[in-house]
Amino acid sequence: MLRIAVRSLIHDRSRLLAALAGVAFAGLLTAVQSGLYEGFLYTTSSIVTRMGGDVWVTAKGVRVIDNMEPLSAGTRSTVLQHSCTVRARPLVLAFSWVRTREGSRENVRIVGTENGEPYMPWELARGLPTDLAAPMRVAVDELDLKRLGIHDGPIGDSLAIMNKRAYIGAVSRRARSFTLLPFIFASVDDARRMTQFSDGEVSAWVVDLRDPACASDVVRMIERNPELRAWRADELRVETQRFWMESSGAGAILGFSALMGLLVGGVIVGQTLYSAVRDHEPELATLRAIGASPWRVARFVGWQALFLTVVGGAAGIVAALGLGVLAARGGMEMIFSPAVILKSVLVLIGMASFASALSVRRVLAMEPAKVFR
Amino acid sequence: MSALVTGQGVRRSYEAGGASLEVVRGVDIELRAGELTLLMGPSGSGKTTLVSILAGLLRPSAGTVELLGTPLATVKERALAALRLAHVGFVFQRDNLFPALTALDNVAEVLALKGMPRRRALELARDALVRVGLGDRLGHVPAQLSGGQRQRVAIARALAPNPRVLFGDEVTAALDGTSARAVMELLRTFVTPETAAVIVTHDPRLERYADRVVTMEDGMLVADRRGIS
Repeated sequence: MLRIAVRSLIHDRSRLLAALAGVAFAGLLTAVQSGLYEGFLYTTSSIVTRMGGDVWVTAKGVRVIDNMEPLSAGTRSTVLQHSCTVRARPLVLAFSWVRTREGSRENVRIVGTENGEPYMPWELARGLPTDLAAPMRVAVDELDLKRLGIHDGPIGDSLAIMNKRAYIGAVSRRARSFTLLPFIFASVDDARRMTQFSDGEVSAWVVDLRDPACASDVVRMIERNPELRAWRADELRVETQRFWMESSGAGAILGFSALMGLLVGGVIVGQTLYSAVRDHEPELATLRAIGASPWRVARFVGWQALFLTVVGGAAGIVAALGLGVLAARGGMEMIFSPAVILKSVLVLIGMASFASALSVRRVLAMEPAKVFR
Repeated sequence: MSALVTGQGVRRSYEAGGASLEVVRGVDIELRAGELTLLMGPSGSGKTTLVSILAGLLRPSAGTVELLGTPLATVKERALAALRLAHVGFVFQRDNLFPALTALDNVAEVLALKGMPRRRALELARDALVRVGLGDRLGHVPAQLSGGQRQRVAIARALAPNPRVLFGDEVTAALDGTSARAVMELLRTFVTPETAAVIVTHDPRLERYADRVVTMEDGMLVADRRGIS
């Protein structure tokens, strides 16, 4: 039945091409929307992922990392009390602004961490983390140079950040916030100067533990201080993702686009399979008369659906991967993990199965005696 | 001669517009080994319905049918399909060949339905096509064949699995005189002391190939006589 199904499909080339285009379109949209969704989730919480740590400590009442109140320097002693704690890294994460040479004002996000390895949270395209050790040295992302008015030779060039002169010591790669505001990396002390933080203040403490299993105990101990909120790193990441996903409606928008693609693809595949069955009804009924079981004849639809899904879906997913590469160059984050690809394939299989249902029903209802009429 | 197919008191009615319409009305018939039977009669006389019932494609409303000794009333659909696959061949007015498949593959795919390995199926399909005179058309698709040639492929498809009983419906209706004669001669060669064929037709010229001619009118058998073959 495989040979009959596939050859019959290939025999009608215009119909085949239309169906493949439909599946490829559905595959492309599903994979792109899934990739964008994963990319969105990642960028909402990329600071948490990049900074690592086992426990994060913020002010009480903080819901997401993007809206943190300053913690005083004295909170560090509370954070370090537990014997399982190895260190507490300071993090300053705050909004600021840059006055470009052209005179425009660009909002930015300042990320202040302890200098040097391993605390520079992003990889560098140019320069070394130690290049940020000198006062008022910053790293800017390669995607944001133009936006910040830096056109060539960024290393050594200067920026006016909140009216304070800073010099570019390094260039980071693919550091994107979902708000699309440029990240500017600096030492904690310099970050305070470029924002409205006072001496010693931080946005959060990133705590490294000797054994991650003590995280719950450390969280409990820190939260005895009513001013503090302690999170396991995964918990803060998930909460941040959920907050932005729900409040921005991004999940619904991406899901709706993917659904549209699936509907279009499903209709095209369904129509193709159904008309193939209708056109080949005398031949299929002949097979039923000869003695093929209904489900065996239904494989005609199954093999055609599988062929369309595999060939069209592969084309769509490859196109999505290509689009992902192009999008990354433009600063858009699409993540095509094996899980995303697998999900897209499963969704396409589901779509094809759903689209096959009517055709399979028609085959199963076919009367073998029909060939005698 | 032994009966390969028997029908006793066969009736078949349909619901049409709220009324019951009986198209086969108490037919008793035997199809015996070694016979080519023509089933004739005017349109609407119930020929096609009767042959569908005898072939196990339709269930009768009343009466009994035995196909190769198996009472069909007691057989489930799946077993009935297996019985047809093993022992029954069909040729129709339209060839019903898959347009995308070559003549060879159209025949071989039916053999593959029986679970035959592909290589063996191709061998038998080739033999069957040579037998019907299409040895030089194995790789042709239906669009590259004439109407008569396509019907011969359909006959090869029916005969390749070596069925015991062959059912045909207006097999020459769409053919010119020469092709029709060639097709009937082929069907004639199928009938041996172990096999039987029944052909539904309107064409009295086919009587010269028949061992027996059965005539139906208004759902009943009205004549059963020897043919002139």
